[in-house]
Amino acid sequence: MIRMRLTQQEADPIGGIAAAPVVTMAAVLAVGTALGVTLAHRQEITSPLAAVLAITLVAAAGSIAAVSVLPARAPFTTERLWLVVALAVGGVIAEYVSMLGGGRSVTEGFGPIAVGALILALAPYCTWLSLLLAGALASVVIAVLVVGAAGAAHDPAALASLIGLTIVVVLASSAAAAGYSYAIIAETLAWQRDANRAALRRDAALREGIARSVQQTRVSVLGREVLPFLAGVMTADRISVADADRARELAEALRRALKAGIESTWLDDLAANLQLARDIDVLVDDPMGAAADLGDDQRSALSALLSWLGESERSTGIRVRITVDGAVRRISVSAAAGASPPSRRELDRFAAVARAVAMRAEVAATRENVAVEFSHVPG
Amino acid sequence: MTLGLPGHLARASLSRALTHAGHCAAWVCLAVTVALGVSGATIDGDPMSWAVVTIAALLAILLVFVARHPIVSLTVLYLVIGAAAMVALTTIVMDAGLQGGTTNTPILALPMIAILLVGGAGTGAAIAITWAGLGYALGEAATFLGATLVGANWVPNAGAASAFVLVVVIRALDGISRRSDQRRETGLHRASQQNRELAIRHDYELRATARLHDTALSHLVAIAAAGSGPVDERLRTGIRQDLGLIVGRDWAVDHSLPDEAENLRGGAGRGRGYRRPGVAAATVGGVPGGSAPADVVEAEGSAFRAAFTAAANAALRVRWTGDSTALRVLGPMRAEALDAAVAQCLINVARHAGVDEAEVAVGVGSGEVTVAVMDSGVGFDEHEIPEDRIGLRTSIRARIEHEGGTVRLWSTKGIGTTIVLTVPEGGE
Repeated sequence: MIRMRLTQQEADPIGGIAAAPVVTMAAVLAVGTALGVTLAHRQEITSPLAAVLAITLVAAAGSIAAVSVLPARAPFTTERLWLVVALAVGGVIAEYVSMLGGGRSVTEGFGPIAVGALILALAPYCTWLSLLLAGALASVVIAVLVVGAAGAAHDPAALASLIGLTIVVVLASSAAAAGYSYAIIAETLAWQRDANRAALRRDAALREGIARSVQQTRVSVLGREVLPFLAGVMTADRISVADADRARELAEALRRALKAGIESTWLDDLAANLQLARDIDVLVDDPMGAAADLGDDQRSALSALLSWLGESERSTGIRVRITVDGAVRRISVSAAAGASPPSRRELDRFAAVARAVAMRAEVAATRENVAVEFSHVPG
Repeated sequence: MTLGLPGHLARASLSRALTHAGHCAAWVCLAVTVALGVSGATIDGDPMSWAVVTIAALLAILLVFVARHPIVSLTVLYLVIGAAAMVALTTIVMDAGLQGGTTNTPILALPMIAILLVGGAGTGAAIAITWAGLGYALGEAATFLGATLVGANWVPNAGAASAFVLVVVIRALDGISRRSDQRRETGLHRASQQNRELAIRHDYELRATARLHDTALSHLVAIAAAGSGPVDERLRTGIRQDLGLIVGRDWAVDHSLPDEAENLRGGAGRGRGYRRPGVAAATVGGVPGGSAPADVVEAEGSAFRAAFTAAANAALRVRWTGDSTALRVLGPMRAEALDAAVAQCLINVARHAGVDEAEVAVGVGSGEVTVAVMDSGVGFDEHEIPEDRIGLRTSIRARIEHEGGTVRLWSTKGIGTTIVLTVPEGGE
């Protein structure tokens, strides 16, 4: 089932990019809570070293989460979620150790809030199943610590209440995260289905118009020289030597034109469109026609970047070079900076989108020009 | 697949997803409340805990209705019933003196959080914050009333306040991040549409290219090869037909008309013997020494109209064998593509093989139609075909592959060439 495997970052890369600051805020909240609660209860700390370790582990979890979701490091993998949760849960365990015998309960600790905040913030980057699983496992660990701290001092009902009230923060956060992930994927896929249906209907209307324009283009090319010539031969009695020579010349010219047409790819068409619409030089260097190997989404990602670079005086000229290195296709996009050159951060957005569609992407931006390098292995 | 959500839909979609997230958290809060109630009722034997269980379960069920039908009346009903539930829960909890006598207790925070996470009707950050604020205020007011009724000490609930602040922060961030309009700037949706247009255009360009190759180019080559002398009548007829086809019709989308296609596919089988006016009868007679019986030639020639005409124009004798009704299983466009590809194979035999006869075998089976074009000519090495020889690539390979078929070629110098074209049944 596709909903179980998809994350918002994959289905809606821009949504994933927009959510990155939320993770930083959650990390700050987790570390701030850890510091605040530890300071507030410093009298009850029996192991300062464990207390420092607890804060350090939560800080590490928060930092890794915040850095991992940056567009430059996309996509966020499940392994990163487990690393973040493992470090945060490690912080909870260290906090428990720091207050052993100090009279404070785990319920009053920062652990559940820190773990819950981090899982909740990572919702746009993980599948709903992994978020639920992460929350459930963290809850089990915290529940064990609650039981360990309570010992035999509590009656079973009170202990059950204590466990429930302690882990509810983590459970509710992970349920909210999973609910968000599930719902946004469902919304996105539903829209994509509708959009694809609409696109198919639109395609049918487009085909007629495009077919007519293609016909007119081709016939106009032919009409200038070839058709009058053929019409002349058709009505003549004899073919002269000059006619034969002229037929040979026209055949060669037509053959060259046809060959160029056959070897062109969608990227050449896009470049021609951009050149016409934006009045900037767009050069495509793709001797092997490797642009044809790109999938639909990969084409959209590359097209979006090229169109964006061509707009609003961001560049004065764009060059796209595709090289084939074994199974790997490398696509280098370089653009000479225009009056309003793009920033690296803006370019990172496109790189993140590319990464969401199975391409590697690196960005380099200087004052004079920008370069974005993609690579992919055709599936 | 279309990448991502477009800007105009993202606001509503993200808002609904956040609301769903809130509902999930609310259900967990209510589930834990139910669990605590069950634990109190069964382990401690406190009968009032069953009331807690009932109230929390009722709220959870009501929230399901709000989630399914997020309308104002249901949202208000949930808030009102939630407030009443909070009064009842506060009196039960405070009367039991479970949590040290103030209303700032986690057991009261859970249902209060479930109320403020109502989500509610409408979309957008401001509306969501308004509903959450209303839920929080009603929850606290109800707790105050309940505490007053039992004479308990009312203190604002820290857990519920934290949850409310979290909702406000998340909704506010959501609203702010959407204002930056990254979606519109990135233009993914637009790029996706543009690519579809380019793909369609490219597709038509290729079809037009193949058609051009078959018509204008082949005539030019024929004129160049003929040298000076009288115009061959077959050449003249061919040019006349093709000029009419190119100039007079939408030839880039040209394919058989439905009735024509029906004739092409079914005519032979039903014995009606579709015959292209002025072409089939003349060329059957014009092919010297055709080795197949006349009815088979005519039947196959009717189905493979272009191939039949091409062979006749090139004075190529063709031996047709196999299933004469094979093309019936193909759609008109696919049948036409196969016919055109076979025609180009025969033209290639006439031009390059150095022989004046070829064999075409047609078969159908395993969901595919297969046509083999064989000659005993000079043969060639496919790798040695000059780059500018585009007939094999466009008129044969591109056409067949466009229909989801395959082209296999075996050729040995001095022995001959066999080209096998396979297309799946059906198609447009």
